[in-house]
Amino acid sequence: MIKEIRPTVFVVDDDAAVRDSLRMLLKSVGLPVEVFESGQEFLDAERDDRPGCLVLDIRMPGMSGLELQVKLNERHSILPIIFITGHGDVPMAVEAMQAGAVDFIQKPFRDQDLLDRINQALEKDAGSRRMLAERNMIRKRLESLTPREREVLDLVVAGKANKVIAGDLNLSQRTVEIHRARVMEKMEAHSLAHLVRMVLEVERAEE
Amino acid sequence: MFDDRTRPPGTAPDGGQPRSSQAELEFRSLLDAAVDAIVVIDHKGTVEQFSAAAERVFGYAAEEVVGRNVNILMPEPYRSEHDHYLTRYNATREARIIGIGREVRARRKDGGIFPCELAVGQVAGIDPPRFIGFIRDITLRKQAEERLRRSESELRLAQELANLGNYVMHLDGSEPDYYSPQLCRILGIGTLDENVALPTLLQRWVHPSDREKLDEAMWDLNSAQAACDAEYRILRDDGSVRHLHHIAQVTRDPHGAGHKHVGTIHDVTERRQTEDEARQLQERLTHFSRLSTMGEMAAGLAHEINQPLSAIATYAQACQRFLKSPHRDDADILESLEQINAQALRAGEVIRRLRNFVKNREVTREPVDCNRLLDDLRTLAETDARLHNVKLRIEAEPGLPTVYADPIQLQQVVLNLVRNAIDAMSEAPETRREVLLSTRRLPDGEIEIVVSDYGTGLAPEAAEHLFNPFFTTKAGGTGLGLAISRSIVRAHGGRLWHTPNEGVGARFHFTLPVSPAPKGE
Repeated sequence: MIKEIRPTVFVVDDDAAVRDSLRMLLKSVGLPVEVFESGQEFLDAERDDRPGCLVLDIRMPGMSGLELQVKLNERHSILPIIFITGHGDVPMAVEAMQAGAVDFIQKPFRDQDLLDRINQALEKDAGSRRMLAERNMIRKRLESLTPREREVLDLVVAGKANKVIAGDLNLSQRTVEIHRARVMEKMEAHSLAHLVRMVLEVERAEE
Repeated sequence: MFDDRTRPPGTAPDGGQPRSSQAELEFRSLLDAAVDAIVVIDHKGTVEQFSAAAERVFGYAAEEVVGRNVNILMPEPYRSEHDHYLTRYNATREARIIGIGREVRARRKDGGIFPCELAVGQVAGIDPPRFIGFIRDITLRKQAEERLRRSESELRLAQELANLGNYVMHLDGSEPDYYSPQLCRILGIGTLDENVALPTLLQRWVHPSDREKLDEAMWDLNSAQAACDAEYRILRDDGSVRHLHHIAQVTRDPHGAGHKHVGTIHDVTERRQTEDEARQLQERLTHFSRLSTMGEMAAGLAHEINQPLSAIATYAQACQRFLKSPHRDDADILESLEQINAQALRAGEVIRRLRNFVKNREVTREPVDCNRLLDDLRTLAETDARLHNVKLRIEAEPGLPTVYADPIQLQQVVLNLVRNAIDAMSEAPETRREVLLSTRRLPDGEIEIVVSDYGTGLAPEAAEHLFNPFFTTKAGGTGLGLAISRSIVRAHGGRLWHTPNEGVGARFHFTLPVSPAPKGE
């Protein structure tokens, strides 16, 4: 049983008032929130890759929002980032989006606009995490295959018939059928199409 | 007409021995003892007697002159005219010089011409007449007179040029008061009536705002100090205002009497006006520079005001949601409302500081605590720092004495240096982006404020022109910031300079003298 961790909204803003007002707003809608006054403080906090999203001020003394984003990318963080920008920060916002931010919102903003963006970001994060979890699961199943089963799987995914596979591997067709059944079972595949999708999913992620 | 019978004693033209007698000897002695040169001529102008003094004055020996026409002792045109004068006198007996005397010019043996006073008498009771001339060389007197005349006219010209007048007031009435013509011109009057003393006039005309200064000067003059040096304005009868620099002192003659005031009054109106204009121009330029600084900082300021507004909006929206929520916590609502209040004040404070900074106002001098000044400045400076992802750090030495300064102008200097420091670090890596503002007291008692950055530092060619007006390395800069900052610091009696920062970047220092201890402490 995997314990469901509630997603948290992380807020990084050097301005105490802006930071605290965001904390209040998120609290008022019952969202867990944690606030940080600098990018470094956020990096230093042990988050264990917890689910959630990051609301990040683009302008800060020391490490700017954009620099924090770069550092998070280097750490392969998947945390979606919503940038808070001021007047005239459009070029910076564009840069942020190119670096993978999900959204940006200009101060001052309507609470609902921010909350909508946060909800979208949390959904995206949940989706990403589901996908990651699924990939990990598929990898685990793949690792449980014997070398022979793996060979059979690769040829099945390549679209080859049992007879062709038997010829390629110098096995009897009956032996191939047994390996194939073991592969379907270990991979928990409902169908051939399902099996192929799982393998491609992992391969695509590893490319 | 003179013949040997009538020739006076001791003047034999042949140089023969004079026929001595008591009268002759007496006459000769008289002649030679006289200080003035004496020449006796007959009615045709022939010299008969030539005294010892005459020999000295004219450079002729008596025997060279006796028997010759007296006109050899004269320069032209008298030389040619003299015979004619004699003829006319003999004919008309109309005296033009005899018994009158006048200043004429005479000629020495060496040809030199000299001024002399000539008195001519006619020897009584002889016909044809003989004349006796007394000649006094007045070269030295003339030179002295000329020198005096020249120095007087030079003094007058100098007074006119300098617009400076002088006066002497005899307090004991021993002599009439003296007021120089230029003094009367400065005061805008024809002449000073001796009955109206200068102090009375000044008291009447002094500018109401300067009355105290004049009173103080007069008090100084009459005190043991016995001198005054004051500057004040007067309102002249013609309605114009003049700035006067008045220096005077009381003197006495060695006997302790002759009590008098000697003084000069210098009209310094033009100089004061020029100084006023220069100062106004400098103030306008300083103000312009402040406005331009604020213009450059507009984006940062908008951001700075946007921050509290943004927080206010978010708190308010949080409150609405709390109020609609079934399990609300009143403490959260209360806290949010408190924050809304605080943030509204914060936004107001930014605007107040901004208005203070750009307001065109009179330059003042007041005791300023430099550490508090930096604290006040923080809001404006951090605005710019934040916009450029730069950290602003303040290291203030506690317990500094105050400086006597214009706080807004000092803020302008610091803000200018901070902005330069921020600009210098636009390319610097994130870890270095910090501006350090520090204050300390120097061993000599001055307060030093240092702005350090870790930016690109100063190229030698830039360092050379750094303080020149209109020199700038920035695309949108006016090039006035540092030039004006330095002139502000200098006007406060301080210095502004720069040094390389340890390792990397630049440091700008300026000093300010500590204000004198306030009264009552």
